[in-house]
Order: sequence, then C-alpha cells, then structure tokens
Amino acid sequence: MNALKITTRDAGTGPVLEVAGDLDYLNAGQFRDLLPTVTLRPGQRLVVDLGALDFCDSSGITALIAAHHHAQSAGGQLVLAAVPANTLRVLSIVGLDQVLTIHPDSEAATRV
Amino acid sequence: MMARAGQHSDPHDADDDKTAQAAFAALLEDSAEDLYESAPCGYLSTLMDGTIAKINSTLLDWLGLARQDVVGRLRFTDLLTVGGKLYHETHFAPLLRMQGQINGIALEIKQADGGRMPVLVSSVVKHGTTGEPLLIRTTVFDARDRRAYEEELLRRQRLAEEARRQAEADRARLQDTFAVLQQSLLPDTLPELPGAEAAAHYHTASPDRLGGDFYDVFPLDGKRFGFFLGDVCGKGPQAAALTSLTRYTLRAAALHDPDPVSALTTLNKVLHERYSASGDPRYCTAVFGTIDPDPAAGRLTVHLASGGHPPAVVLRADGTATYLPTPGGLLVGVLPTAPFTAASTTLGPGDTLLLYTDGLTEARTGKDRTSLYGDEALLAFAATQAGRPPHAVIEALDGLLAGFGDGLDDDTALLAIGVPSSDDPTSETR
Amino acid sequence: MDVVRRNNVTVTGNPQGRTVVLAHGFGCDQNMWRLTVPALEDDYRVVLFDYVGAGRSDASAFTEDRYASLDGYAQDVVEVCEALDLHDAVFVGHSVSAMIGVIAADRAPKRIGALVMVAPSPRYIDDEGYRGGFSEDDIEELLDSLESNYLGWSAAMAPVIMGNADRPELGEELRNSFCATDPDMARVFARTTFLSDSRGDLERVRVPTLVLECTQDVIAPREVGAYVHRSISGSTLVTLDATGHCPHLSAPEATNEAITAFLAGIG
Repeated sequence: MNALKITTRDAGTGPVLEVAGDLDYLNAGQFRDLLPTVTLRPGQRLVVDLGALDFCDSSGITALIAAHHHAQSAGGQLVLAAVPANTLRVLSIVGLDQVLTIHPDSEAATRV
Repeated sequence: MMARAGQHSDPHDADDDKTAQAAFAALLEDSAEDLYESAPCGYLSTLMDGTIAKINSTLLDWLGLARQDVVGRLRFTDLLTVGGKLYHETHFAPLLRMQGQINGIALEIKQADGGRMPVLVSSVVKHGTTGEPLLIRTTVFDARDRRAYEEELLRRQRLAEEARRQAEADRARLQDTFAVLQQSLLPDTLPELPGAEAAAHYHTASPDRLGGDFYDVFPLDGKRFGFFLGDVCGKGPQAAALTSLTRYTLRAAALHDPDPVSALTTLNKVLHERYSASGDPRYCTAVFGTIDPDPAAGRLTVHLASGGHPPAVVLRADGTATYLPTPGGLLVGVLPTAPFTAASTTLGPGDTLLLYTDGLTEARTGKDRTSLYGDEALLAFAATQAGRPPHAVIEALDGLLAGFGDGLDDDTALLAIGVPSSDDPTSETR
Repeated sequence: MDVVRRNNVTVTGNPQGRTVVLAHGFGCDQNMWRLTVPALEDDYRVVLFDYVGAGRSDASAFTEDRYASLDGYAQDVVEVCEALDLHDAVFVGHSVSAMIGVIAADRAPKRIGALVMVAPSPRYIDDEGYRGGFSEDDIEELLDSLESNYLGWSAAMAPVIMGNADRPELGEELRNSFCATDPDMARVFARTTFLSDSRGDLERVRVPTLVLECTQDVIAPREVGAYVHRSISGSTLVTLDATGHCPHLSAPEATNEAITAFLAGIG
C-alpha cells in the first residue's frame, strides 16, 4: 500500500499532473479533489503522467474518467502518459484506451 | 542591590528596587521553622511504635486537630481510616521495616469534622549513630486533586469502554443490514435451465462494506434465458443504488429486446442520463447475454456482449480453458454513446462458461501481496476444473478466493453456466 | 502443576533438623520472615512459601472459587507438605495464617506436629460476647475501599505489581517488589480473611501450640490473644512487648527468642 503523491507543473501544452503511489479506493478522492483547482484553457491538454503509479483500481479508473470530463468541459483534452502495463491492461479491458489519448511518456505528451 | 552611581534614577525604578529588596530580605528572614510549619505538605515524625513526636501546622489543619491533642498522645495509625490502619499494619509498616523507606502510598486521613482526605504518604526511617532505627519521618501530600484525576481517568475509561461496546454493537448491526441488503441485490435462486445448469456465488471481501458486483439469470420467453454479470464502480450505498438500477434496467431492456448489444446500449443511455449531470461519474462494467438451451441435442448457445468487462472463460470437456474475447467494449454509462463488443459460443456436454468480476484477477498474492493473481493464473486454474459441472467449478473458485485471505480487496461475483456431461453421475435433466 | 513452583517454595537451613514451615498472613509474602530465618537455620530445616495470589506464587493458579475460603489456602499448605513429604513439621503462621495452619493440621495430622501462632485472630468482627476488634461497618468500609481501588496497594503499587507480573526480570530492581501482590487477588484474600470465623476450629487443635501476641495490636487486640489461648487446651501464651501486628519485623529478637524457646521445649 503506497500513499498517493501528486505533483503539478506547467508545460507549454497545459498543466501536467505527476501521479505517484496508489490510485485506489482510499486515495482516489485526493486526485478528484485536486481537479477543480487545475486551470485548463480551451484547447489545452491536461497531461496525467502515471510513470510512478503503483496500483490503480476501479476508483482510480473513475478518477481518470472524472479528469476526462473536467478536461472536456473546459474545452481541453485529457492525455495520459507513461501508463504502467497493468493499468494499460485494465484500460483496454474497459475500453477506455479507445476513448482517452495515451502517450508513452510525458515528453511525447507535451510535444506541441 | 547596588546603587547606580552617577546616573539619574527614575522615581519608578527606585520604587521597584525597594519592593524587590524588601521581598528578598523577607525570604532571608523566613526561618527553617516557618518553612517546616507552613510547608505545602504535611510533616510528621514518630517513634518506631508510631507515637507522634512532631507534626507541622499544615497537617494539623488538614486533620482539624490541635497540636496538644496529637503530640505524644496519638499514633500515626490513629489518623487513618480503618482500611488505612489495616493497610498500615499489613503492608506499610513491614515494608518500612524491611527497606527503611516507603514512597507514594495512597491512604486516607480522618478529619475532625468526620470527613476523609485522600493523601499520598512517604516515610523514611532515621537511624542512630549505631545504626539502630530511631524514628520515622513521614511526609503527607494532599492527593485530593490526584484522586479526582484518577477518578476522572477511571470514569473516562469506563465511558470509553462503553462507547467501544456501543460501536461494536452498531457495527454488528450495520453488518447485518448490509448482509440483508446485499442479499436483496442478488437473486435468491437461479432458474432451472432445461438440459443445463447454472451456479453462482458472491464472495464478500469485507462485511463492513456493501459491494458493487451483481449477476442474474432469468427467463426471457418460453425458451431462452437472459443473464448478466457485472461490477459497478465504487462501493457502499451509492454503488448499491446503482446496482439496483442496473439490474432492473437490464431485465426490462432484455424483455423488450434481448439482443445483447441493444440491452447494454439501453443501460448505457439510462446510466449516462442519470449520472453524468452530477459531475460524479458512475458506471459499471457488465456482460449481458442470452442462453438458448437445446436439451435434445445436449447443448446450448450463448450470445453475449461486454461493456468494459473482463472476458469470460470457456471450460471445455476436453480439459482446455480459453478466453472468449470481447475487446473494445466500453464501460457502461460513461459516454453518451458507447461501443459494445459481441461474441457467441456453443456449449456441449461437459462445457462450462464462467463469468467473474475483477475482484478475482486483482487479488493481491505473493508473500508481500504485491503481485496480482492475474489472467494467466485464472486460465490455468480454470483448466484444472474444465469438464466439471458448474457447481463444482464455482466451489473450486470459492476455495481459491478463500485462500487469498486478506489479499482480496474487492468483492467477487461468479456465474457459471454449463451442460452436464453425459457421464456425469450427478446430472439429471434439470 | 508443580507445587514447589506454584507456591514459590524455598527450603533452607539445616537438612538434618526438624522442619519449620513459615507461613505469611494477609499482606506481603514470605519475605516477612527474613529476620526470623537466621535464628532458625542452624538447627532447623526452614521452609518458606507464598500462598497462591501472593508474592511470587504462580498467579495463573489463582481462582476466586478456591481462594474465597480459608480452606483453599489450607489446601495450599497441605499440598506443600505433601510435595516436600514433611512429617511432624512445626507450622508457624502469622495472623490469619495461624488459622489456616489449624485447618491444615486437622486435615493432615501426620504432616504438622506443632503450631506457632503469631498475632493470630480467628475472627476480626466483634460478636456477641466476643471482641474481634472491628465492627461490621469497619470491615465493610475496608472492603469497599478495596473495591474502589483507593488504598495503597492498588493505586501506588499497581504499576509496580503489574511490572512484576509482566516482566519478571525487573523483579530484582523494583522497590517494594517483595511486597508485590496483585490487587485483585489481594482483594479476595482480604475478603476471605476479614469475613472469616474460625473460632470453631480452635477446639480441635491437638498439637502443642504457642500463641504470640503483641501488647499493642490494632488488628489482633489482647482479648483475641486471650481467647485463642483459652480455646486451645495446653497452649502457651507469650505476650511480646511490641506495637503493631508484625512482631517478627518490629520486635524480631523477642519473637525469635519466644519461638526458639518453644521449639526447644517440644523438641
């Protein structure tokens, strides 16, 4: 069990959220509470870097869906970067890999 | 206090100096006598037989007695309550004899007005030049605050214990409520399938939370049956409400149009309309399908569709187990329109279709519980059960789940539908 | 269970000599006899023990059922005598232990051949025609205060006692460790002791008996000493010029002299 740690930074394309630890039933609320505080302008990308993600369950999936909705309603787009194999597998089972944009790393994700 | 030569002294400074000087001088004059008599604690000196030889004013005041009535007339034990006297004789005095001192013993002294005052007593034996015990010096501390403190501690301890017991009772009641609710979200019994068998099991990970898994098997028309199995996101009462809505929507949709993709599409519309506006995304993953039994031929046909749910496993009579892939189906309820992937299979004698929720594959295993059970392990386990009837497969999986112990974070629902093998001794036309 | 371990039995002194068993009363444990042992060990084999619930006896052997009556404690004595295969031993009992010895001697007459009673009392509460020294209210007050946990041994000694039970290696360093008694067990012993009435047992004593009393003893006043002496035919009464209830600690020389003189006399 790992605590959740989220680091925010800015890139040319928009905000980048670096997520480390477990995104699960206990911690997902932390991620979702953070979303409204992240400003996204129309046309920008909200990049969520999951390179340091340890574990993701259905609450984690819900959190990513919430991020997707948040980006859409701001006129922007959610982009996932460096998704770990396990999570990628879950995303493909639930079909979100067809809905969300996924890049291999945040460098690619923030490339204009 | 030296005068500051050559400096103008402020009249206020001079007054302060004088007050400080006076106080300091008063301290010096404070004799040992005064310090003894008016000490914040009681002092007492007794002979070895307990006769009081000296006593300070503080203690006399606490007792409400006059010095002449005490010195040379009373023993230390005369100042104590009955319990104190007994304790003194059986513990205090022997210990004092054996170790020469004794500290911090709680006792009560009797006051002249009939009251009792809790005190803490320490005594030390003073020895003469040849080492023989001469007298006992005793200090008596006011323990009223301490007693009040201890009583308060005890009271709070009892309250905490009571609260704990209440919490335990509440928790037990809540668990009972959840168990009842959970049961109401699941079918009581599965219908009899002609020439086939259905078995199911719901494994709760924690009795303190309502789970979000669901399943059902129900008749569609005179011939076919509908089934579904799924997992709503989240846990608790919200999830339970979603489960309820999902089940009844699927049942109703199926009766109207049993095509699996249509049923899921209807469910998607209903959930999306219901929940998307609230900014709190709610969805489920689900497999919906129809069973078309052909008992004369000893087989049944399954048509199903998956909305973001892990693929079903087909166990064959020849001992193999494979996934029935349904890639690309999306979680149900997240987007206004969503794709769902269909698949079909025919089950013959000894074949079983197994549906499950991800509580199973996501179970944490390994010594440190960091690896997940996973798809491959499930397939390998299923292969060991291939050829056995549905209820046996479910029992085996239940055993597997039990073996995960606290590695199981999530509830798991299992549904198995199969055709008994022709040589199965327990098979009968059901 | 091994009785020797259960009752923390210590055997010392002259193995050739007659056996003298020293039994503590209510309050503390066998350490109370530390000033008596030296006077006996050259000529006698000395046996010391703790009743279950006191001292370093095995607390797990304590049951309220057994030790809610003096018979339970008497059984400890009989079992210790049997474990050591004692014959014709002298039983020295302090306070209520003297009565426990009377019961034990009655049960196992071959084991106990003589009794020494140090500040004995067969009943603490006054009765019609009998002065025990306390009123019923007094004893109720004592037992209530034990219940409410205010008296010395529970408030101040509990941490010491508990420390003793959980971490025996601390036993040596803890002060007051030789008077460590679990408050709950002490409460049972106190109740048993102060509500007891063994007057009827006295007339059954058939062995040589020494009764030692103190001139000023709150717990066993002079009348009680006289009563015990009267009730045991052939007994010897010695009044020690001592204050308090534990002459073996407050007046050790006089106590030892009285005991050794008695032992020599019945030798």
